[in-house]
Amino acid sequence: MSEKVKVRIDGEVLTATTGQTILEVARANNTYIPALCYMEGLSAVGACRLCMVEISGVGKLQPACTTPVQEGLAVVTASPQLEAYRKIALELLFAERNHVCAVCVSSGHCELQTLAQDHGVTHVRYPYGYPRLAVDTSHPRYVLDHNRCILCSRCVRACAEIEGAHVWDFAGRGIRSMLVSELSRPWGEATTCTSCGKCVQACPTGAMAEKGWGVEEMTKQRSVVSRLSSMREGE
Amino acid sequence: MMDRPTIGTCWLDGCSGCHMSLLDIDEGVVAVLRKADIVFGPLVDAQEWPEGVDVAVVEGAISSQDDLRLAQTARARSSVVVALGDCAVTGNVPAMRNGIPTRKLLERIYVEGATDQPQIPTEGVPALLKQAQPLHQSIRVDVHVPGCPPKPNAILTVLSDLLEGREPDLGSRLRFG
Amino acid sequence: MRIGDIAAFAAVREAGLAKLLPNRPRIAVGMGTCGSGNGAESVFHAFSSEIERRGLAIHLAPVGCFGYCAEEPLVNIWVPGRPLVMLRQVQANHVDAILEALGRGQLPPEDLVLCRIEEWDHLTGHVKYGYGYPEIPYWHELPFFTGQVKTVLRNCGLINPDDIEEYVAIGGYQALYKVLIDQNPAAVIEQVKAAKLRGRGGAGYLTGNKWEFLQKAVDPDKYVICNADEGDPGAYMNRNEIESDPHALLEGMLIGGYVTGARRGIVYVRAEYPLAVLRLERAIDQAREYGVLGTDVLGRGFAFDIELVEGAGAFVCGEETALIASLEGHSGRPRTRPPFPAQKGLYDKPTNINNVETWYNVAPIVSKGPAWFTETGSPKSPGTKVFSLVGKVRSTGLVEMPLGTPLARFIYDVGEGGTNGRDIKAVQTGGPSGGCIPADMFDTPVDYETLAQLGSIMGSGGMVVMDADNCMVDVARYFIEFTHSESCGKCVPCRVGLDKALWILDRCTLGKATHQDLQALDELCRMVRDTSLCGLGQSAPNPVLTTLRHFRHEFEDHIVAKRCRAGVCEDLALSPCENSCPLHMNIPRFLQLYREGRLEDAFLSVILDNPLPASTGRVCQHPCDDRCRRAAVDEAVNMRDVHRLIADEVLLSDRFDAMVERVRERRLEPTGREVAIVGAGPTGLACAFYLALLGHSVVVYDSRPAAGGMLRYALPEYRLPKAVLDREVELIERMGVRFLFNVNVGEDVTLNDIAHQYDAVFLAIGTWKEAWVYLPGTELTGVIPALPFLEAVARDEEVPVGKSVVVIGGGNAAIDSARTARRLGAEVTVVYRRERKDMPAIPEEVEAAEHEGVKVAYLAAPHRIVGDRNGQVRALEAVRTKLGEFDTSGRRRPVPTDEVVRFECDTVVLAVGETVDPDFLKASGLKAKEAGTIEVDRYSLETSRERFYAGGDLITGASNVSNAMGYGKKAARNIDKRLMGRKRFPDLFPAFEYAMEPPETPEEGGRHVPPELPAAARVRTYDEVSLGLTSVAAVAETSRCLRCDIRSAER
Repeated sequence: MSEKVKVRIDGEVLTATTGQTILEVARANNTYIPALCYMEGLSAVGACRLCMVEISGVGKLQPACTTPVQEGLAVVTASPQLEAYRKIALELLFAERNHVCAVCVSSGHCELQTLAQDHGVTHVRYPYGYPRLAVDTSHPRYVLDHNRCILCSRCVRACAEIEGAHVWDFAGRGIRSMLVSELSRPWGEATTCTSCGKCVQACPTGAMAEKGWGVEEMTKQRSVVSRLSSMREGE
Repeated sequence: MMDRPTIGTCWLDGCSGCHMSLLDIDEGVVAVLRKADIVFGPLVDAQEWPEGVDVAVVEGAISSQDDLRLAQTARARSSVVVALGDCAVTGNVPAMRNGIPTRKLLERIYVEGATDQPQIPTEGVPALLKQAQPLHQSIRVDVHVPGCPPKPNAILTVLSDLLEGREPDLGSRLRFG
Repeated sequence: MRIGDIAAFAAVREAGLAKLLPNRPRIAVGMGTCGSGNGAESVFHAFSSEIERRGLAIHLAPVGCFGYCAEEPLVNIWVPGRPLVMLRQVQANHVDAILEALGRGQLPPEDLVLCRIEEWDHLTGHVKYGYGYPEIPYWHELPFFTGQVKTVLRNCGLINPDDIEEYVAIGGYQALYKVLIDQNPAAVIEQVKAAKLRGRGGAGYLTGNKWEFLQKAVDPDKYVICNADEGDPGAYMNRNEIESDPHALLEGMLIGGYVTGARRGIVYVRAEYPLAVLRLERAIDQAREYGVLGTDVLGRGFAFDIELVEGAGAFVCGEETALIASLEGHSGRPRTRPPFPAQKGLYDKPTNINNVETWYNVAPIVSKGPAWFTETGSPKSPGTKVFSLVGKVRSTGLVEMPLGTPLARFIYDVGEGGTNGRDIKAVQTGGPSGGCIPADMFDTPVDYETLAQLGSIMGSGGMVVMDADNCMVDVARYFIEFTHSESCGKCVPCRVGLDKALWILDRCTLGKATHQDLQALDELCRMVRDTSLCGLGQSAPNPVLTTLRHFRHEFEDHIVAKRCRAGVCEDLALSPCENSCPLHMNIPRFLQLYREGRLEDAFLSVILDNPLPASTGRVCQHPCDDRCRRAAVDEAVNMRDVHRLIADEVLLSDRFDAMVERVRERRLEPTGREVAIVGAGPTGLACAFYLALLGHSVVVYDSRPAAGGMLRYALPEYRLPKAVLDREVELIERMGVRFLFNVNVGEDVTLNDIAHQYDAVFLAIGTWKEAWVYLPGTELTGVIPALPFLEAVARDEEVPVGKSVVVIGGGNAAIDSARTARRLGAEVTVVYRRERKDMPAIPEEVEAAEHEGVKVAYLAAPHRIVGDRNGQVRALEAVRTKLGEFDTSGRRRPVPTDEVVRFECDTVVLAVGETVDPDFLKASGLKAKEAGTIEVDRYSLETSRERFYAGGDLITGASNVSNAMGYGKKAARNIDKRLMGRKRFPDLFPAFEYAMEPPETPEEGGRHVPPELPAAARVRTYDEVSLGLTSVAAVAETSRCLRCDIRSAER
């Protein structure tokens, strides 16, 4: 029942299909709206708030990843205000846990690091929290380093929506939220885990990685998730 | 004749890699030295940070009382302070100890880890601060050059910009890790 | 009994009426959580057993709460044919007296009687209790109920919440019945839309529109949900509504369910409300039993049931999508909208969620119509809203007011102003999601839009009133700590942003923050507000943003002056008294030293904190009294009279010389720096004393022949004997201060001359110029301004005062003039345009004046001075004023009436205020403020000219001695720091060793007040009126101190 609509993104008139979100339409037309929790092929949750955009006639900023397009929508994806807010959000993520790029397997291939560099984050203005966090090495093939986790829930959704196992979810709330496998059982002991590794490929940072790689060596095949998802669309 | 601009450098809690990278700008060093004098730092002889320095380049995190004092001196006596490298900008590896109480840390290294005469040294070593902190938590920093170490061309860009009176802009040379 | 037809309905109604208005007396005990917390349970049991034991024919019932929390427990007494009488603060031991009075056909003891109700409009029905008892005020005549309109709370505290029959008796479920008979859902939705009923949970969305969405959703399964997850600290209206009147909620939901096509209703109530849960469970059971819920509601073929779900108490579950997640068994985390719940809600089915209070408005709108509903409230926000008025007001409780009512009505009418008459600083509305509104904005109407404009919200209706004891930085910190710990953690701004905001606020409360921190806090809070996923994060920054906007100076006090004026932030305040003292005297210390019998140490402690301790001990406005925590036990400690005695015992004795030497020992090495001070009043003297101790060479210029300023030339001898002042000046002089008298700076010597000679200049010339006032007749002979009058008396000069004097004004100068004129033998009347409690003069002074025969005419605004042919004063005419609305100072505005009163007199003293001499101001060339005072940096006291500082009345306008001296002290500290390049001020103060033991129990006994000369004797002399405390009384007084300066060891 989808129909064609015209929307304006950063001044450019684009044709879109109802049911698409602003972010999907923008990216399909080579306008990159930054996002960390969004991943093609997974449901959108609007958690990282990097994709906030201005919509004319709407008083509040809206997340591009969950806002559907409609006829006549006019969107601004980058403004000094939005850029300032995105910078703060990125700094907050760095200040929350212990992100040490210099010793990270994903350095150079990390979405958080890349976004920070693209947005001119030269330093973090907020105090670092320095929480003491564990590294779960119990799985034979993978490792989970909570120090690098940004709680984007991509692994949670990849596991639940694509693999159908739902090994991952969150425990606790607020600043004490933690990613947990099963009911806080070590990953290696999680009986529902199929060791498929989709969570690892979906993870935007070095929080989840394959064992055996050194600094900067872990590259991820993010397209695994979207490919599987699109292949199943016909089913 | 106008006074030649002066540069001071110092090395707090870090691995000296940033200074290595500074030397790594190759013939850029010559270009810089043609415009300015390096008046303090591991590369020169001076005993004390002189007054009226134009650019202070600081490597490393602030981990001890001595680091803090040196950083404050550099700040007080320099017009522009550059935080050089991830340790100065983010705390980086030195800050990985921050979740652990200092006492426990020292015991682990000097008592549990010692093979001979286990004891925590108190004399001749500066007191550790509770946490290793990035430079800007203690002093005002004007320019941040992250990187572990920063690439030589990033350092050269910043120094050239500063010596030629431009607002430094790393642009695509901005990089953590 | 099932209500299957109209006959059964009528039968249930009759059964209910037989309990509500039985043929014998009825006693109803208010047993909400609030009443029970105050002992209502035992009151109920006492009534129950006494009635049984005595075999009385009395109907006893529990009811909910009538809302007057400050007077709990409330008990209603009703005798057939008479009004319902509400009793206040009833305890079990009152039960006998109440029952006996009832037995004799009399009213209970007078002090228990609160008010009466003759008739009550339940909106769905009307109850006539009866008439009589003219001596008891009607309920709406009590200040607390002034302006209250009980729509939502229409049944609360009057009917038994556990009895469906009583609810039916007052017309309950008839609106539902009507809706079921009419079978026209669209018409009901139109009614709700026409009533413009807005969601009472805080966001204010139009309820009718929400219902329409749900009605239009095509799905056989729809839900209506009542959001009773009331989690704001300080808000408890929903709890009380459910506890007091659960059936009205069910009826609202039944109507909403029917018209939107829902077949199931869910009440999501927090588990922390056990009584509300219990009463609602009972109500649901009864409703099922009576056929109000079930497959055939009221026999009309409509199937609807309501289920109660207890929430685990996460604040975020008040957010509708989180609430739905919680109902579905997931963790309570919100999700983005769209899709909206009306499209995809509970179990992905169309769902409508309304707040408790919204549902309570439904039945009245149906039964009385939308036109009736929109009569109340403001055009955009009709109807009423229940607020919980708590905090620093006299009367606290649940208050239902029309929307659009100004805040001042809540605070000053209903709340009856600040506790103990203290000034109110702000009100916090909307709980953790709301903001703080300063007192000078209390003319703001309370509605959704206006509060939002001020950066606050209405929210669920919490109203927390704050006074000088509340630190706004701490308030902001408290709410951020709350939302920070209640954040679900899903989105980055709320999860991490609030964590970092809390860190910055923590630094503020420790005095460690910087201006950059404040800026970062502001920017961060805007980002959290604008980008968070749900209402929690979007509104969480409001407390910070509003306090930064309206109370920025408090943040600056914390970070620049390192001082928390409220005394809440422990690292930035010693004790409430010290903190309130403009000189920051360490009061607990001198009290303890004196108590230990160490007079000389006590004196040293006093004089180093306050160089004019005997003068201030007599005339200080004693702000310490207002902040003393002892006042919560009985009365404030009399700190002022103790330091007066300590000062007198040294200054006026042979210990003087030795003590002068001891003070001199504190002097630092001479610095060779020279400072000029212009003005030898209290400000200049204080500054001179400290600068001399700091080793500087100090010269004080004054245009008068002796030092003291207002202390010498304005304050009457009977309040401050000049012999006392002379000793204080001598001590200051012996610290090395040089005085140059009879020098008029500006005329005899210019500021430029002084500037060349000295390293720094401190200006403290005070306010000696009478303020201009428009009053015809001021040119007449016999009109004198207060200060020249007082100065002439002080200088022992001839004073042209007649037999009959009128003094215009209400400040200390007015009272001083009146009492002085009395001593000159005149009949004196003070004319003041407001009420007595609004007078700025020290209350004890007003009282003393009255004892001396001074008459005071309140509520009289001078209008003109009448003269005779010779230009001599004959009378003052004043317009009688009446009290109008409260202004933003919390005082009622005097409104002129037509009545003119005439005061025959031959002399008029004008005491309407003083200002800085405008000629001096102009000649100085310094930057001035609009008010005619000199502009200085708030913290450094530096003027627009380098090395020139100013303080006292010159920068504040006419104030008082201690404030003035506080500036002198602060100026000395700043001038020294500037001259010497480092902080040396703390070096002046030695460490004192004294007991740091808090009293285990407060010493018994009230405040010691010094004896006075009898009024008859004192009007004939200038002898000092107050005779001071005796040493014995002073020692006893010191032991009344609760030692707020002592910190617990665990900290």
